[in-house]
Amino acid sequence: MKGSLGTSLVLHTLVLTWAMVSLSAPAPMTVGDVEALPVDIVPIEEMTQMQQGDKTAPMLEKPAAKPTDNQKIVEGAENAGNNDIDLKAPPTPSKKPTQVETAAAPKPSERPTPTPTPEQNEVKDIAPEETAPKPTEMAALPQAKPEPTPPKPEPTPEPTPAPAQTQAEEIPLPSSIPLPAAKPKPEPPKEQAKPVEKPVEKPVEKKPETKPAETAKPTDKKEGKKQETAKSSSSQKSDFNADEIASLLNKQEASGGGAKRSASPASTGSTKPSTASKLSLSEMDALRGQIQNNWSTIAGIEGLQGMVIRVTFRLDKSGMIIGEPEVTSTGGSSMARRTMEGGALRAVLKSQPFQNLPAEKYDAWSEVAVNFDPSELGL
Amino acid sequence: MEQVALEAATHDVSLWALFMQAGLIVKLVMIGLIGASVWTWAIVLDKYVSFNKARKQFDQFEQVFWSGQSLEELYRTLGERQNNGLAAIFVAAMREWKKSFERGARSPIGLQMRIDRAMDVTMAREGEAYEARLGSLATIGSAGPFIGLFGTVIGIMTSFQAIAGSKSTNLAVVAPGIAEALLATAIGLVAAIPAVIAYNKFMAESGKLQSRMEGFADEFSAILSRQIDEKLQPRQAAQ
Repeated sequence: MKGSLGTSLVLHTLVLTWAMVSLSAPAPMTVGDVEALPVDIVPIEEMTQMQQGDKTAPMLEKPAAKPTDNQKIVEGAENAGNNDIDLKAPPTPSKKPTQVETAAAPKPSERPTPTPTPEQNEVKDIAPEETAPKPTEMAALPQAKPEPTPPKPEPTPEPTPAPAQTQAEEIPLPSSIPLPAAKPKPEPPKEQAKPVEKPVEKPVEKKPETKPAETAKPTDKKEGKKQETAKSSSSQKSDFNADEIASLLNKQEASGGGAKRSASPASTGSTKPSTASKLSLSEMDALRGQIQNNWSTIAGIEGLQGMVIRVTFRLDKSGMIIGEPEVTSTGGSSMARRTMEGGALRAVLKSQPFQNLPAEKYDAWSEVAVNFDPSELGL
Repeated sequence: MEQVALEAATHDVSLWALFMQAGLIVKLVMIGLIGASVWTWAIVLDKYVSFNKARKQFDQFEQVFWSGQSLEELYRTLGERQNNGLAAIFVAAMREWKKSFERGARSPIGLQMRIDRAMDVTMAREGEAYEARLGSLATIGSAGPFIGLFGTVIGIMTSFQAIAGSKSTNLAVVAPGIAEALLATAIGLVAAIPAVIAYNKFMAESGKLQSRMEGFADEFSAILSRQIDEKLQPRQAAQ
């Protein structure tokens, strides 16, 4: 036994020394250069607001809206688009822009050549009055000029002679007379497109050219008249406040679309940036705390089990309640409910003005609903 | 922004370093387990040698026994020596036979019973010798892993306490403590596995030897009973 014990000891020491030497230290794992991984803690809403892109476009690394042609940068723009003014409405590209270009472009080219304006002024006196009902037809006509126009010259020629006689006399009048008659109705029905460009050219051309243009009259009276009827109305506008109207109507691109520029290729994402703000927990707690401090509860009331009182009210930006808070309640006995409703309402009214609410999130706290749960207070 | 960088592990993780870093309890457990391993292997070697020797002696004795040599002669040659196994049984039986016969035992049945009992006692003693220390092998085999596990649990406990103290969950801080703790379980397994295997092997071996002894005892008992009948009957007839 002693011998075997000795051999065992010797063997163990041999094995252990071998283990110490050969298994001394396992080769350390080569991890390479461990670069510090920067971790940003980002609120999720910022992430979702960063997802602005184009719904139909293919997925790319970074969501981006359709590239915009207009690269003029508008500060504070949130919605992607070609507009100069940031509008929340999504762009409706198809119809309106085309109308604007097709309808408006050809006319200026035709108008300047005939511009038998002097007569227009004359005709205006009568034309607007008579054509007042017509404009509805007229609105449709101008594009299909060839056919509908011929009938029109007939009515106009008759009146023209009369005013022609009183040309000189009535010249001052047109400015005054047409105003009330022509303004209100005929204009709006007429193509929205027209006013856009007319005011720019006509007011400049017509007033100075009225006299030289008279020479042009005789050449094409018919053409002139056709347009006279059409332009009589428009020229009337130009007479009084064409510039104002122009400035008002010039926004033919009020078709929607934002002013945020995008240069990167369109990539999938949501078209709307989510701008909804929410109160953070601490802000909600602050609001709740204010109300809770003012909520004096009456101990020992029975019938509070399952009672929930909901007080809804609107706040203005200074944290004051607008109007009367609305109190609804469910559960519990009616007696207790009445008591607790009053308490809750008092608590809300007492705790105004609500403070510590971030002004930039006004839309989140403009309307507040507070749930009171008095059931826990039941003793 | 929080920056987390992994430091290079500076701990020495060689076996000796792990042992030296371990706490007192874990060290004791490890030393105890190493001792158990030494003991296990000592027993294994001892048993291996002794079982081999016993088997050889069995073979030799059986050869001599069945060679047709006179039992008296055999007894005389074996009687003076320290005997093991079959020889011990033979010597015990022959001694009893001699004693009874020389004093002139009259009852063959009583003589037979005495011889059987003498052989049984010797057999039991021999069997005891074969199974000696196999019990400690069984103990080491079953308890070794638990002892190692105990060391591991203690080691991990202390290393977690250290982590809690250092307030760092860096793997480089955690790893050495756990490695050193696991070393205890490793040593426990190293001691226990051979112990279990050796225990099973030597138990089977010892059973084989014992059954061999029993067989021999039965056979020898039969021979002796025949001898008794042959020797006692003429004596009785003479009387």
